[in-house]
Amino acid sequence: MKWMTTCKETTELVSRAMDEGLSLGDRVAMKMHLAICTNCRRFTRQLHAMRRLFRLETRANDDAPGLAPEARQRIATELQNRLDS
Amino acid sequence: MPLLNALDPHRWLADHGDYLFRVARRQLHSDALAEDAVQETLLAALSAQARYAGDASPRTWLTGILKHKIVDAIRRQLREVEIPRDADGEEAVDALFKQDGHWAEPLRPWGNPQAEAELGQLRRILDECADRLKPVMAQVFSLREVAGMETEEICKELNITPTNCWVLLHRARLFMRQCLEVNGFAKAGAA
Repeated sequence: MKWMTTCKETTELVSRAMDEGLSLGDRVAMKMHLAICTNCRRFTRQLHAMRRLFRLETRANDDAPGLAPEARQRIATELQNRLDS
Repeated sequence: MPLLNALDPHRWLADHGDYLFRVARRQLHSDALAEDAVQETLLAALSAQARYAGDASPRTWLTGILKHKIVDAIRRQLREVEIPRDADGEEAVDALFKQDGHWAEPLRPWGNPQAEAELGQLRRILDECADRLKPVMAQVFSLREVAGMETEEICKELNITPTNCWVLLHRARLFMRQCLEVNGFAKAGAA
């Protein structure tokens, strides 16, 4: 058993912690590494910042392009076909 | 002649088509797949409209149907693609680290933007980076980070093992972070 996880292993723990609870052992290993590693602390902050920005973005449903005219026409035709049938 | 009320399917397309398309596009990362999802949603809504109780707004109701169509589309993609122990994904991850498991390059700090103009710019970079991921990876990642589905639910819906699901998510996060840093998220000084 290694006494300290590597950065690569720590990023896996940080990522998994965003999806599910970690075991006590994994949590301790992650925290010990983060306590001494600026890069991995930064990595953790950035993953959370990315998530916040993504969730914010979906709410703001903004200026991204909408349906192309041809697609809109195609869908309208399909709907009409279904209505007529 | 279609009825001119809230349940008129042509009104759905006119009033909500762009919105539904943007939601789908952001999770499917493909114009064609997103257009198909909108069409399937409206056709399904047409068949189901007798069951529409009118207690949700049409947009909310349609968005609910769209969510299922998005998952269906991703599931179809997954059947066609071998996931995810692909060699180049593995290599791309390895390239981010040295042999001994330390970061190959130090991470640059990001700013903490609040201004709406700046946020808009970052959202565009975010979308572009997500589009650059491999399709299946981008889709699974978006179900988690954009749609906010629980990982367990994603694995179950898409019928992939938790390990595969998790490998996809982790790699997507590593690549996204890298792409964001290179394309303008990095700032001198902050966060």
